[in-house]
Amino acid sequence: MHELSIALDVCRIAEEHVGVDALARVTAVGLDVGDRAGIEIDNLEFCLEALLGSAPFGSGRPEIRRLGGEELSVTYVEVEDDGGS
Amino acid sequence: MAVRRIDVREKVMAKNDELAAQVRDRLHTHGVPSLNLVSSPGSGKTSLLERTLDALGDRLRMAVVTGDVQTQNDADRLAVRTDRLVQAVVTGGACHMDARQISAALDQIDLEDTDLVFVENVGNLVCPASWDLGEEAKVVIFSVTEGEDKPLKYPRMFERSNFCVINKIDLLPYLPFDMDRAVAYAAEVNPDLRFFFTSALTEEGMGDWYEFLVDLADTEREARLEA
Repeated sequence: MHELSIALDVCRIAEEHVGVDALARVTAVGLDVGDRAGIEIDNLEFCLEALLGSAPFGSGRPEIRRLGGEELSVTYVEVEDDGGS
Repeated sequence: MAVRRIDVREKVMAKNDELAAQVRDRLHTHGVPSLNLVSSPGSGKTSLLERTLDALGDRLRMAVVTGDVQTQNDADRLAVRTDRLVQAVVTGGACHMDARQISAALDQIDLEDTDLVFVENVGNLVCPASWDLGEEAKVVIFSVTEGEDKPLKYPRMFERSNFCVINKIDLLPYLPFDMDRAVAYAAEVNPDLRFFFTSALTEEGMGDWYEFLVDLADTEREARLEA
């Protein structure tokens, strides 16, 4: 039921790592989610698809690795190079 | 265009857990224990608090942080029982409270003039289990109208709780509720749970609960004075 809150936190973490200007170029956000993390994974994926696919993001996708245990973490963010700096 | 991968490895709850740790430190510094009351909607959290404030108001200075989702109703019910201590946090449709809200609420409470803090969480047996609020203990309230198998259906909440209040026991004569089975299910999920059997309506069984609260506040205060 709280997957949207979690998804918003995932977006916050992504922003902290890539900076607000690069959000539109995020192509993927990797997550590890345990089966005992209290998360409905399909629901989280749905929320992240919606958030990462709209402004300030562009066309990002969640890439969720399902694990055992209580793990709930963001593992990586993939960003398209802007061709410049 | 080339894609660059940035390693993150950050726990999603890290921010909340950090704030919860700060809340916990702050409460310890002042020698004030806090209890996070969790339950499904309608199990009697507010009634239990009303009774408790009435019964212990002369002995303990109690603060309540309440997380009613849509209304001020719970806060209003409690405000008539404690003149200065109720802090309402309305979570606007959210399914849980987080440590940031507790931290903000504590800014409005004089902890030097407080013996015990209750957090009345949003009525929900799923989501609040995931958010550490910096509490000393979680108390799960479970009423006899809910069915004995609640602990098996919502194991995470019962696992994470330290205490279990089985409420509305005045209704037992009218219900097919099997208390032994309910306790066995809860103990199966969490063998360390300590139980209270109460009726916030008739006050049956509330004595044990009151005694526990007074002991908790005394212990914490003494620990602080010795430190």
